[in-house]
Amino acid sequence: MRRLVSGLVYALSGAIGVLAFLYPFFLPVTDAAGRGMARSPDAMLWTAALVGLSVIALTVEVQGQIIHAKMVAMLGVLVATTSVLRFVEVVFPMPGGFSPIFAPIILVGYVFGSRFGFLMGTFTLLVSGLVTGGVGPWLPYQVFTAGWAGLTAGWISWAMDRVLGRLGRTRRSLRPDIAVLCAFGFAWGILYGAIINVWFWPFAVGPVQQTWSPGIGLRDTLARYATFYLLTSAAWDLGRAVGNAALILLLGAPVVRALSRFRRRFHFEVVATDV
Amino acid sequence: MFDARAWFLWVLTTLVAVSSARNPLYTLLLLLVAAVVAVVCQRREGAVAGQQAALSPLRFAAIAVPTSALFNALTVHIGDTVFLDLPGWLPLLGGPVTLEALAFGLQNGLVLTGIFSGFAVFNQMTAVRDLVALVPRAFHEAGVVISIALTYAPQTIRSLNRIRQAQAVRGHRVRGLRDWPPIVVPLLVSGLERSMGLAEAMVSRGYGATSDEAQPVRTTGGLAVGLLALLGGWLLFLFRPAGREAGLVWMVVGGALVAGVVWSSGRSVHHTVYRPRRWRVRDTLVVAGCVLALAAVLLPSPFGLNTLYYAPYPRLTLPAFDPWVGLGLLGLLMPALVGREMGRPPETTRTTGAEPAIEMDA
Repeated sequence: MRRLVSGLVYALSGAIGVLAFLYPFFLPVTDAAGRGMARSPDAMLWTAALVGLSVIALTVEVQGQIIHAKMVAMLGVLVATTSVLRFVEVVFPMPGGFSPIFAPIILVGYVFGSRFGFLMGTFTLLVSGLVTGGVGPWLPYQVFTAGWAGLTAGWISWAMDRVLGRLGRTRRSLRPDIAVLCAFGFAWGILYGAIINVWFWPFAVGPVQQTWSPGIGLRDTLARYATFYLLTSAAWDLGRAVGNAALILLLGAPVVRALSRFRRRFHFEVVATDV
Repeated sequence: MFDARAWFLWVLTTLVAVSSARNPLYTLLLLLVAAVVAVVCQRREGAVAGQQAALSPLRFAAIAVPTSALFNALTVHIGDTVFLDLPGWLPLLGGPVTLEALAFGLQNGLVLTGIFSGFAVFNQMTAVRDLVALVPRAFHEAGVVISIALTYAPQTIRSLNRIRQAQAVRGHRVRGLRDWPPIVVPLLVSGLERSMGLAEAMVSRGYGATSDEAQPVRTTGGLAVGLLALLGGWLLFLFRPAGREAGLVWMVVGGALVAGVVWSSGRSVHHTVYRPRRWRVRDTLVVAGCVLALAAVLLPSPFGLNTLYYAPYPRLTLPAFDPWVGLGLLGLLMPALVGREMGRPPETTRTTGAEPAIEMDA
């Protein structure tokens, strides 16, 4: 029962995010029905608020499940370390939209599981947004996307166990996992950019009379977004995606080993005794 | 200077005003207001309380306005004033390029700049600590995590510099990504080592001894129902024109339910704040200014004009200007007008050493 309800919260929160990402593609369809309310720039406020609410709900759920003192301390320090990596990026300039914060989020999610990964993603983006002066209507999307990147990274170790188990192999080396994580980081690098674009999307799409004419549908909108994406974001996002994959390739194995060691060490208990 | 809550309302009002007053005259007015507030408040305070964004609003405008204008002009081929004809075989780009489409793109760029500048002012004027204090009580643990992260960030930067120096002594130079592991791995391990110490300290002092119990199913259930109402309402709103109102109602119900769950699970967290920030008259004045601006864009104009939405199609005309809306938007200037210290001693001398500046769990 409890697992079912909890899973429902995850699924619904994810569905709201997916809808926020996809709805501009359906705008011609929805506009055909009425005055393009869904396309008016207020849509930006609506969507940001909805995505924000879904993140809040999921955070309440996840935080209620796992947070205790040891997790609080570890999460805080990991978030601080990852946010500081943003300064490394400032010191050694890297191409395009590359940002070193995704690789740690993904690796932490992989080692500590989905819930911890989710919190790691949301808090890292929140804190680095606060610290670098990056609060804005794009923040709900950033928090949402990074949170889900960490959450889904937690599924990888589980899935890899399954796949390798079916192949009848015992797990020795980290290498296949690192390879999968590289691809995973690449995919999230692209996806992150595409999702963040949603915040100004209603402006790129424009008002009803500008683009809508009877008979156009999904294809036309898709073509429009594809052009927009190629023109403005593709190169930028590619830089991030390649950077994620490269960082995970280079840092993956030592970081995973270090994190696993500390995960074992964190199983300590404090016993109160009379003095 | 002002309460963080007042600034929060101010930035929200700016966001609503910029995105609902789709008329370049109002957008320019709002940009001017944001610029004046930024300059006046910064000069008055001497130093910036918050964080300066990496990208200044001017630079943002220099990127966003031309990009948006060009993209719109090249991909939208409606409007009467054609000034260029691109060959038709170009996919999506081919066709007449019109002045109207260019103007519309410019307007979009200005709106984006308006949103960006509002948030730039907000980031500059509010200290991070004050923002963390605004986190609802249900996110108490989240607030603690963020506080720890903010506290440890400077330490981590110091330790990053130490590691870099130590590696440099060994002849290590950072040229590309390949040179990162010798820096990042020690940074991570030393950070984790520190978090061990912190965790031991927290556990042995009994932190979280009461909050280890699982969340009641009722909370999770409430969240699930709230999200379901939100999602269902939104789907209804988007895809069923007949169900627009019903969809809105469902979305409001869902949002209220999620907010209610957050509020009720926050009630079980008790904490007290030493040295609470006093709400002052000038904060109230800022709120009043925001209410004025909101009224101007959300209520119908007494002059019976509808100038909020301007579209340059089919032929470029001069946008209309409603003095009532213009006046209302000036309410957002309030932070620049009322903040002067009226003969009062500066705030720093008011606080005495008797008040400890820490928060504690009760």
